[in-house]
Amino acid sequence: MASTVIGAGITIEGEVSADEELVVQGTIRGKVDAREGVTVEAGGTIEADITGGPLTVAGSVTGNITSSDRVDLQAGARVVGNVKATRITIADGAQFKGNVDMDV
Amino acid sequence: MALTRTTSSTSKHDAAHSTQAVLGAGTRVRGRITGDGDLAVHGHVEGEVHLRGELFIAEGASVVSNIEASALRVAGALDGDVNVTGDVALLAGARVRGDLRGASVSLEEGAELDGRLDCEFTLPVELSGGGLDDSDGPTVRR
Repeated sequence: MASTVIGAGITIEGEVSADEELVVQGTIRGKVDAREGVTVEAGGTIEADITGGPLTVAGSVTGNITSSDRVDLQAGARVVGNVKATRITIADGAQFKGNVDMDV
Repeated sequence: MALTRTTSSTSKHDAAHSTQAVLGAGTRVRGRITGDGDLAVHGHVEGEVHLRGELFIAEGASVVSNIEASALRVAGALDGDVNVTGDVALLAGARVRGDLRGASVSLEEGAELDGRLDCEFTLPVELSGGGLDDSDGPTVRR
């Protein structure tokens, strides 16, 4: 199963677009478009608007999230930005500041 | 109420292992990549790469960027100048356009290079025809 892993020591400044799942342990600044979804692990940081599939966040995201699927903020997640998703979970211990739009 | 996805737990396991990073075949990056640790590129990168680690450009990958790294192995396409502190290896299938500088440079049969080599190394016997010595880092034009 292909996936892209941005390791803990890596920083990408620019646009990232992926046709496969993106796992972020490092830092991305700019713009992220991941059709198959993004997992931001604890310690991972995304400072960018994110569009794409399902999103799982245990790290830090600063930017607007537009997901065609679900968004899960796990304990330890820190998200600042607006979230547009079909489903959302915010676990106990996650921090979130922004609007949630579920197209209701 | 377990809402954790399976992929999260396997990735955490990998994270404990190394700072191994992989840009998969379906991934495109336009911008700067910097950092510590090894990076394997199977997709497309356009921009700049400054890596304190080994960069591996896989077959099918394409990188349009100047590269600074600790080591470089290329089996795919690269368009850009390379300045590496360690070894540069162009594997069979590599198609490289740009100048390469490294502590050593090796080209496997099947590798293609359009550019200059700037490093200190000893040419293999078949190619040296005249015993070029490596003392001053000759520039080899291919």
